[in-house]
Amino acid sequence: MDFKKQFKEGLLTKNPVLVQLLGMCSTLAITTSLFNGIGMGLAVTAILICSNVLISALRNFIPSQIRIAAYITIIAGFVTIVDLALQAFIPALSASLGVFIPLIVVNCIVLGRAEAFASKNTVAASAVDGLCQGIGYTVALIVVCVIRELLGKGTFGGGILNGGEGIRLIPAQFPAMQMVMPVGGFLVLGFVIAGSQKLMKHLEMKNKKKEAAK
Amino acid sequence: MKTESNVAYIARLTITLLLITAVVAAALAAVNSVTAPKIQAINEQKTQTAIEAVLPGGGEEIAFTDDTGLVSTVYKGQSGYAVEVTPSGFNGTVTMMVGVDNAGKVLGISVVNHTETAGLGAEAASQGAAGTAFRSQFTGMSGSVSVTKDGGQVDALTGATITSRAVCTGVNAALNAVAKLG
Repeated sequence: MDFKKQFKEGLLTKNPVLVQLLGMCSTLAITTSLFNGIGMGLAVTAILICSNVLISALRNFIPSQIRIAAYITIIAGFVTIVDLALQAFIPALSASLGVFIPLIVVNCIVLGRAEAFASKNTVAASAVDGLCQGIGYTVALIVVCVIRELLGKGTFGGGILNGGEGIRLIPAQFPAMQMVMPVGGFLVLGFVIAGSQKLMKHLEMKNKKKEAAK
Repeated sequence: MKTESNVAYIARLTITLLLITAVVAAALAAVNSVTAPKIQAINEQKTQTAIEAVLPGGGEEIAFTDDTGLVSTVYKGQSGYAVEVTPSGFNGTVTMMVGVDNAGKVLGISVVNHTETAGLGAEAASQGAAGTAFRSQFTGMSGSVSVTKDGGQVDALTGATITSRAVCTGVNAALNAVAKLG
């Protein structure tokens, strides 16, 4: 188990959203305010850790022929628990994310990690993987949220700061409404992916130079 | 696996999956028993707040037979009625509460639930300046309301004519319901 490596993979080099391009549906749909991004990110992270741990613990018990059915049942169970808990304890977030919480069941990040990682690794490593991939997802969502909210509504921190209105950075008449609509989601996500690729290239070059200097 | 007979093999798969689903179902039942009363209380509170927002003093539910398919519940209070209506918006049903006084004038409206586009139609429900201004237009209106585009007096929300029309449809349904009662 290599925590540092797993963390770097989750955050950057194997980021579920920016590199693996998983979970696009929720990424494009809910990233209109900071509150949504953080809420959705934490919900997915919690579900990822729980499902990874349980699936990893049961990996020798579940016959491979029925593994997908078993994984989906376990994931759906955790998603429903989170959905009910949000409705009961954080109704504002539940109202804001709406149908996208139940849709985490079919979020390919969760099933993807179950199949690619948890079913082959130890419980502890799977828990770390869930946490790292969840953080990567959350960070990617927050980046997209902040950009879309700023360009589309001219605010920062909508849903949390300043009584839910967000802090206004651009006067109300300037923001382009399209940026909080689906088209803005695709545009911003494309640029964020491009930016993250550039950043990774840059880091790689730096590493190579360092090694060459040695 | 090769040493297992077909029957034993199929039984093993079935029992494993059955066990997993049974455990998950039991866990969900446990969680539901904790959250269900809380969720119900929150929903009741939401409806109560919406009634009080449009009908000072609140009201009691009364029987009402609806033939438009838009009116779900009618509450009667001291100064008038609060009518819960469910017109169709841009993405789905907009559940809203319309207060109507005994003279058939709108006391106020509030949106309980909706799935309109964030930043556009969703403004109809927001506590921000645009949403508040949009909803307050209806106060005092009577008869039949419609957006300016359709020849009425209501200024539609920017970029959300469909949602604005839905709100008008809801208000009209509420006004008609009260007219029928009174």
